[in-house]
Formats: sequence, C-alpha cells, structure tokens
Amino acid sequence: MDVIYNVMQGFGVALQPINVLYCFIGVFIGTLVGVLPGIGPISAMSLLLPITLSGTPESGIIMMAGIYYGSMYGGSTTSILVNIPGEAASVVTCIDGHQMAKQGRAGPALGISALGSFIAGTFSLVALMLVAPSLASVAIAFGPAEYASLMVLGLVVLTFLTQGSMAKALLMACIGIVLGLIGLDGITAQPRLTFGRLELIDGIGLVPVVMGLFGLAEVLLNTEQVIKRDIINAKITQLLPNKEDWKASAGPISRGTLLGFFLGILPGGGAVVASFASYALEKRLSKTPERFGRGAIEGVAGPEAANNAAAGGAFIPLMTLGIPPNVVMALLLGAFVIHGLQPGPLLITQNPGLFWGIVASMYIGNVMLLVLNLPLIGMWVQLLKLPYNVLFPPIILFTIIGVYCSSNNVFDVYVMVGFGVIGYFMRKFGYEPAPLVLAFVLGPLLENNLRKSLILSQGDLMTFVERPISAACLALALLLLVGPLLPAFRKKRELVALDEGA
Amino acid sequence: MTRPARPRFRLNNSELWTGAIGLALGLFVIRSGLKLKLGTINDPGSGYVLFYTGILMCLFAGSIIVAAITEGGPTFGSRWEGARWTKPVVIIAALIAYSVALDQLGFLISSIPLMLLLLRAIDPVRWTLAIPLAVLAPLGVWWVLKHGLLIQLPSGILEIG
Repeated sequence: MDVIYNVMQGFGVALQPINVLYCFIGVFIGTLVGVLPGIGPISAMSLLLPITLSGTPESGIIMMAGIYYGSMYGGSTTSILVNIPGEAASVVTCIDGHQMAKQGRAGPALGISALGSFIAGTFSLVALMLVAPSLASVAIAFGPAEYASLMVLGLVVLTFLTQGSMAKALLMACIGIVLGLIGLDGITAQPRLTFGRLELIDGIGLVPVVMGLFGLAEVLLNTEQVIKRDIINAKITQLLPNKEDWKASAGPISRGTLLGFFLGILPGGGAVVASFASYALEKRLSKTPERFGRGAIEGVAGPEAANNAAAGGAFIPLMTLGIPPNVVMALLLGAFVIHGLQPGPLLITQNPGLFWGIVASMYIGNVMLLVLNLPLIGMWVQLLKLPYNVLFPPIILFTIIGVYCSSNNVFDVYVMVGFGVIGYFMRKFGYEPAPLVLAFVLGPLLENNLRKSLILSQGDLMTFVERPISAACLALALLLLVGPLLPAFRKKRELVALDEGA
Repeated sequence: MTRPARPRFRLNNSELWTGAIGLALGLFVIRSGLKLKLGTINDPGSGYVLFYTGILMCLFAGSIIVAAITEGGPTFGSRWEGARWTKPVVIIAALIAYSVALDQLGFLISSIPLMLLLLRAIDPVRWTLAIPLAVLAPLGVWWVLKHGLLIQLPSGILEIG
C-alpha cells in the first residue's frame, strides 16, 4: 500500500507542468545526443549541469535523468540507419540493426528497438520502486568501512570491464583519485596540490574534467578521421514489428531486461556492458547463431532492452547508497550536490517527494520517448544527414559555454582545454577516461571513509575484513584484480571489455 | 618446442614512454604526500591517501614499462597512421588562443572568429553557410543566456555583450 501511496505522491510532483516540461526537454535532448554521433549523454549532461541550478532540484534532476535514458533510445536510430553508434551502449545494435535496414527492414528494427526499450525501461522502474526502499533501509547500517570497500569494488569492476590493459585502467583510476583530492583536505582543511592557485582551493570542477575528457577529446578524435556515413535513404515504412518479429523478440526482450537490470545495479557496470552481455547470451541461446550479424531481430531486441533496463538499474546504488556506479550517475550525483542534497539511504525518507517524483517522471519520460522515437522518426533521420564538419564547431562552442557557466570562471575553460588535450592523447595511447572520471568523483568519498574507518578502529585494518559486507566487496575486488593473471579468466575479460568513451 | 622470439627493444615504443610518464607522476604524488604529512594509521594525515595512491601509481606504471620492454608495443608513428593529425593540432591551437582571448576580448568578439576558423579550416564548409552559422550561433547563445537564463558571459575590456 505504501508503494502505491508513494507512487501517487511521485506523480503529483512529476505531473506539475514545469516538471513535465523539464522531463520533455531532458528526453528530447537525450534522444538528440543519442542520435548524433560524436556527442553522448555524458557530454550533454555535463553541458546542462549548470542549467539545473536555475530550477528546483526535482526539475533539474528529472531533466538530467531524462537525458540519460533518452540517449539510450536515440542511440539505436543511428546504429540501425547509419551503422555508427550514436552512443556507446548502442555499439552492438549496429551489427544486426544495420543489416536489417539494408534488407529493407529498418522499420521493424527501429520499432522493436523502441518498444523493447519501453518494456525494459518500464520494468526497471517497477523494480527500482520495489528494490530501492528496502535496500535503503539496509544501507543505513553501512559504516565507513563498508562504504570504502564498496567504492574500491566499484572502481575495480570498472577497470576490469575497461577495454585494453588493466594496468593502464588502474593507473587512470589512481590519477582520478589524486585529481579528486586536489583542494582543501575535508578533515584538516590543509590545501593539497593547489600550487598556490586560488582557483584550485575548492578543487577541480567535475564539469571541465568531463567535458574535456569526453566532449572535446571526442571531437579531436573525430576530426582527424574522415567519417563515412552509410545512411539508409529508403523511406521507412511499417514501424510496428509483425507477429513473427514479436515471437522472435519476446524471449530476448525478457532476458535482456532482467540481465540489464542486474548489471546496471552493479558498481562499475552499466548500459554498455549490459548490451554486450545480452547479445552474447542471445547468440549462445539461439538455435541458428549463424543468423547473428546478418540481420537477426533478436540481436537488436535483446541489447536494446538490456541497455534501457541497465539505465534504470543504475539509479539504485546512487539513490540508496549515494555511490554512483558509472560516470553518468557521477554527473547526476553532481546535480544532487549542486542543490545541497546528498543521495543515500536517508534520501527516500527525508525527501520522498524528490525520490518518488524522479521515479514517476521516468514513467512519463518513457511514454514521451515512445512518441518521439516512433511517429517522429523521420525528423531524426533528417538530422542524421547533417555533416560532422557543420556539427562539431557548435559542439565545441556549447562545451565552452557549459564549462564557463558551471563556475563563471575562465580558469575552468583552460582546465577543459587541458583535459581535452590530455583525453585525446589518452585515447591515442589506449588509456580509457572512464576509470579516471569515476575515481575523480569517488576519490574524496573514498578517502574520507577510509580515514574515518581507520580513526574509528584505532588503526586496526581488520575492520575491513571483520565486517561481512566490506569483506565480501574486498574479496570480489581482489578476485577481479588477480583474475586476469589467469589465462582463461583473461580471455573472458577480453570478451566483455568495453569502451565507455563515446 | 621453440620459444617465440622476444620483440626487439625500441626506444620509440609509445607504451614505454607513457609508462614512464605514469611513473614520474607517481613519484611526484608520493613526494607530495610526504610533504603533506602522512600521520599515523590511527590518525591518517592529509598526505596519507596521496602517498599510498602514488605507490600504486608507480606499481601500475612499472608494470606497463615492463610489459613494453618484454612484449614490445606500437611506435608513436603507428598511433597516428592514416590519421589527419594536423586537424586536432589546429583545433587545440585555436582553443588555446581562444581561452586567452576570452577574458580580454569577451565572448562575442572571440567566439565568432573561433567558429569561423573551425568551420573553414578543418573540413571547409562553404562561406554562405559558414558566415551565418559563425555569427548566429554565438549571438543566439549569448542572447538566450543573458536574457533567458540571466547568465553573464565575459564582455571583455570593450564591454561588448
């Protein structure tokens, strides 16, 4: 009964005209950045982070969340029609989605992708509503040792899942921690690594770092290549999948939804790994695996359901523990902090309107996305015809404005350009930026909890092992660190490794 | 059974040098941690986490260097093979100049030339599209931010904007 009352309260918040408007802006921008290759949800969210300041916390966070799950929908359109993933979670959709489009079945591919996403998105919301409050009540018992261990696990999982060398990913995570510690020490108020610059006393801002590493670096990489687009020009008709399509897709959508939701909850996991895992699962379960890669609808339905379910699941660790499981959620944490709110176990009880309002807005957003992505598909197709040389200068301009507006300080523009150059070289040399950014956000929290737990336990390191949750997290982290040394385990890691860059 | 031939050690191995940069950064972080005071395990100081993170950085960077020596790795040149490397260089140079000019000249005066340069110098867009886009995009954004969201962008010494 409580859940129904809470959901009604949430709809009361989400259906306020201003919140409906922000939700629409969020899902519209999400679809837009999902459709456009070269700009992903991370860049868009960091760009709009300062704008959330102008409204209420509910409005700002509803819009930011909308960008995230909206981009999951939009990304598939580009994958299917152009064979370029609009964002990282749609990489897998290119394989069979574009083949279907080439065979004149772009309509059913787009249709099953949007409907599968809707089903998965709705399921993950119901699960979020049911799981989050119970997990939050358990999380109240978490002490600094549990939090510190959980953050270590989150960082290790992300480095494990990152493409390429794990040593490089771990080095990036360490650099992220160091960058996160720049500024005044939270306990002793001593300035650290500020080099006498007043601008660094409060630390480096999240927005310039993310915009540089993801936004600008991506543009620099794209401009050095000649991007060829293989756009499907035929008119898209019959968007609704037929009976056979539904029969073939029902299983993949159900499995993708469940798999995606659980992978989304895991710290370090997320939509990208969920879509890859779902594709691999469907191929393995199929009686005709040779059809995969040649236009199998299961290869579109499963991953698209999985990445949308994961997008919903990823809200659970943030809302209940206050720990962002991935970079996008780290930005959402930034939006909470800007408004003086701390997501965590007490958020649901202290700010029920906010929590349930965000959840309810996602239902509304999912319906909006279905309308945006099915009847209005023609509009997005026209947008895909925009050449990159016209697109990237405004992207750079918006990046600069977004960074400047986040602090009203030109110094942050320098920081963004600096991180853009660093991000470009990092990608060139095979260093992924995702572990750095997650560690940058988690670094100060990790340090704080680690030092607190050492002070509370009077320096007894056994405190991390004697507490069951902390011990389990550390054991799993250790397994993931040591595992890649074993050849069989290393092979498995290479199969699931992902590129979160886009 | 024959053992695979060990790759020839090359100084232009990019993995080796990126590992070396990581090692140097790690040593710098260790030094910074020590300068900030480590404290004790009962009462960790400001440099405690920095110091141990620095040690981890050195370990990871060391393993990258060892792998580069024993397994080899791509050269610097091969990383840019087939890429139009001059394009990012032009953008980076333009953005550095823009960052310096932004405070002095203001948003509008510095953004219009930046847009025009990016539209014409990378993959040239025809003038009839480049000029209106270069003028209207900064102007439109400035207007929305100033009048819609009440955000003041830098107006520079000439106070334009």
